Amino acid sequence: MTTRENEEMPSTEASEAVHGSFVHDRFGRREFLRRGAVLGAAVGLSGPALVSLVSCGPSGSESSGKGGNLIIARTAESEGMDKTMVFDNESIWIFLQMYETLYTVAPDGKKVLPYLAESYELSKDKKEYTFHLRKGVTFHNGKEMTSEDVKFSIDEARNTKGGWEFIDAAIDSVEAPDPTTVIIKTKYKWAPLLADIACFNNGIIPKDYAGKSKEEFYKAPIGTGPFKWDHWDKGKEVKLVRYPDYWQKGKPSLNSATWTLVPDDSTRSVQVQGGQADVDEFPPFSSIQKLKNTPGVVMKLFPSTRTDYMVLNHRVKPLDDVHVSRAISYAVDRKALIESVLFGYGEPANSFMPPQVRYYDPDAPGLQFDPDKARQEMSRSSVPDGFNIEMTVEAGNDTQTSTAQIIQQQLKQIGIDVKLQQLDPSVAQTNVQEFKYEIGFSYWTMDIADPDELVSFAVDPTSGSHSFFTDYKNEDVIKWTHEAQEEFDDSKRAELYSKIQSQAAEDAFMVFLYYSDFTYLYSNKVKGFKVYPTGNYHLEEVTLEA
Amino acid sequence: MDRLSYVGRRLLQMVPVALGVTILVFFMVHLIPGDPARTMLGARATDQAVAQLRHEWGLDRPLMEQYWLFMKRLAQGDLGDSLFYDTPVLSLIFERVWPTVWLLAYATVLALLISVPLATLAATRKDGSVDQLVRAIPLFGLGMPPFWIGIVLILLLGLRVPLFPVGGYGDYFLGHLYSMFLPGLTVALFLTPILIRSLRASLLTVLESDYITTARSKGIPEWQVLLRHAVRNAIISTVTVLGVNIAFLIGGTLVVEKVFALPGIGALMVDSIFNRDFPVVQGVTLVFAVLVVLVYLITDVVHSLLDPRVRYER
Repeated sequence: MTTRENEEMPSTEASEAVHGSFVHDRFGRREFLRRGAVLGAAVGLSGPALVSLVSCGPSGSESSGKGGNLIIARTAESEGMDKTMVFDNESIWIFLQMYETLYTVAPDGKKVLPYLAESYELSKDKKEYTFHLRKGVTFHNGKEMTSEDVKFSIDEARNTKGGWEFIDAAIDSVEAPDPTTVIIKTKYKWAPLLADIACFNNGIIPKDYAGKSKEEFYKAPIGTGPFKWDHWDKGKEVKLVRYPDYWQKGKPSLNSATWTLVPDDSTRSVQVQGGQADVDEFPPFSSIQKLKNTPGVVMKLFPSTRTDYMVLNHRVKPLDDVHVSRAISYAVDRKALIESVLFGYGEPANSFMPPQVRYYDPDAPGLQFDPDKARQEMSRSSVPDGFNIEMTVEAGNDTQTSTAQIIQQQLKQIGIDVKLQQLDPSVAQTNVQEFKYEIGFSYWTMDIADPDELVSFAVDPTSGSHSFFTDYKNEDVIKWTHEAQEEFDDSKRAELYSKIQSQAAEDAFMVFLYYSDFTYLYSNKVKGFKVYPTGNYHLEEVTLEA
Repeated sequence: MDRLSYVGRRLLQMVPVALGVTILVFFMVHLIPGDPARTMLGARATDQAVAQLRHEWGLDRPLMEQYWLFMKRLAQGDLGDSLFYDTPVLSLIFERVWPTVWLLAYATVLALLISVPLATLAATRKDGSVDQLVRAIPLFGLGMPPFWIGIVLILLLGLRVPLFPVGGYGDYFLGHLYSMFLPGLTVALFLTPILIRSLRASLLTVLESDYITTARSKGIPEWQVLLRHAVRNAIISTVTVLGVNIAFLIGGTLVVEKVFALPGIGALMVDSIFNRDFPVVQGVTLVFAVLVVLVYLITDVVHSLLDPRVRYER
């Protein structure tokens, strides 16, 4: 058996995982939010660092904290607290303050760090992971966490139907031989396992829902996290309060955290300026410049894993013609789009993978704006004289509508006549997923610290998503995707993912548009607030000055 | 017919109206394309997962059967469970209806407090400069969209001169009274121009009536003539205008609710439509229908209180 220490994983493990989730833009500000996901993350403290903090830290959690109630004004309501079934970020970012995982995503989003587990060992055949649990971790009901709870939680996550169980598809069994040891066996060699274990759906909750029914439990859930459940007034606010016996001694500093629902962009930012709220989730790009010059507040752009795409349905002619799709990719002026839609706050995408994910290749040859090459590709295509096509746009989504109108103009230059079809967001999403579209829009944010989820979703038509619902098939790319899943050698994995990105870019199966940041406005009394590339934040690190 | 039995009759009449609304809404929301299961699960979900959720929610049954189940539950006072929030629709609506009712009531009171004195002032100084001003200025209010008025009020009275909170519903009676002032004022400013014009016009007619001349000739002080005799009679038509507008505002306060972050029922309705949360859409529509009928009923009752000549007829 190879022994792994507490420190960050050796790179050969390739186990950083971050899941991605694919989301169609919904309406207005929700576009950022729907399904990206999140992971508990590690606070930047690895095992030994934690130990030292515990030994020399303050004796009580009160003494280090200044207290305070942090109010986060957010754009949309949560759907629920069931970690195995809920897909929206507005739920995930909250329940990650309550549930924690064995390993967690590092602040850069590219690694995982030990969390409720202190270390793990991998067997020689690379199909058995033995985790050693951290001692002295208690649930919000005061009971100590044991391996039985871990087994229950991961089994719950993988046995749920219709939720996030696909994350755990490689797991064959979970065993709890003694109270501090958990053994996870995989069905086949599976490099992304640690990343999967760090996904929120594998958050640890008490065995048998602490004696409640599943439904009852998730109405007032408990975990091991820094904050515990207080109340949820639907449509108004969710409140969590400090868990005083949290295992990271001295944390959290805040007495409570409240997420209020303030759908209007302008109201949220005024609430922070006026001191009624402390954090404004997602001020629009149009307001960034002004807010940067506003005293008393901090306007911050956090690197995200959000990548926006235009998807091309390969079941529709002539979009299955590689010259046509390449022509479209060449014809889109991403810089112009970023200037007008994101007010300059974005970067053109060169790959379907975002820079904040491991194995992103900065040299991936994603096609960029080049009108001459666009015309050349068109002349070599099956439709040299151009064609008519329909573009599905979500009604009420201003960003998407402007993007579509600009691209419509740009495609006209190469003889493609685009008709915009505005549809109610729910219908637009359903149509794309059922292939009842020609050109559409979608985006992705990572859920785990490993590219596998995104890559399978994007280029492996067998994964159930039919390559972002484009039906793109390239046998080489599919083969490399499967090889990367079983490859534990870091450099070999990197090589495989570079090949995948490169080929996918050449095939231009969708138009990679741009990478954009998470925008947050907060009061300058808020210290230590950091949003991870996966979108979540660690409120146990946050303090609020009086 | 006395007032009580009239009210009882009108309440009974509400039943067929509400039923009609349920039928219309039930079939309309199911006719529009879009699938709540897909919306909820997002693109990552497999077809099996979507099918399973549809089955769990009973959406795979024939539409008529779904309607029958809906009506059967309704007869027992159960509106079903929200697909998204997984809570009973009735309790969801109960939580969310109060901010909206508060908003409308607050706005009505504020609108009357602003309109009655201004309209009286204008009517007593017909064609004078005050009259012209009172007639002209509120028109700006009518011309400006409520969300814009709301934002301006927030910037002025929430940020520049921080007198009121920027959005939120507040806690308890006084908290609501304080927190809801700006949204109440926003809606009131929308109602005011209509009320002033209507009240001023009917005041002018009333002020020329013989009984006003009689009152004045008896030597009753002018303010008493105005308040006791003129305004009370003139306001009857204004009450009708107010009733119609409030009924229109039920469900139309959405924009104000969004701007001021009020957890109201208008916002719930729109979110539920986008999510295709059928039970909530049905429940909220039913509540809207009931509220509209109630507002009209209250309008009629207020009529009879103001004017004893109004008779309840079959």
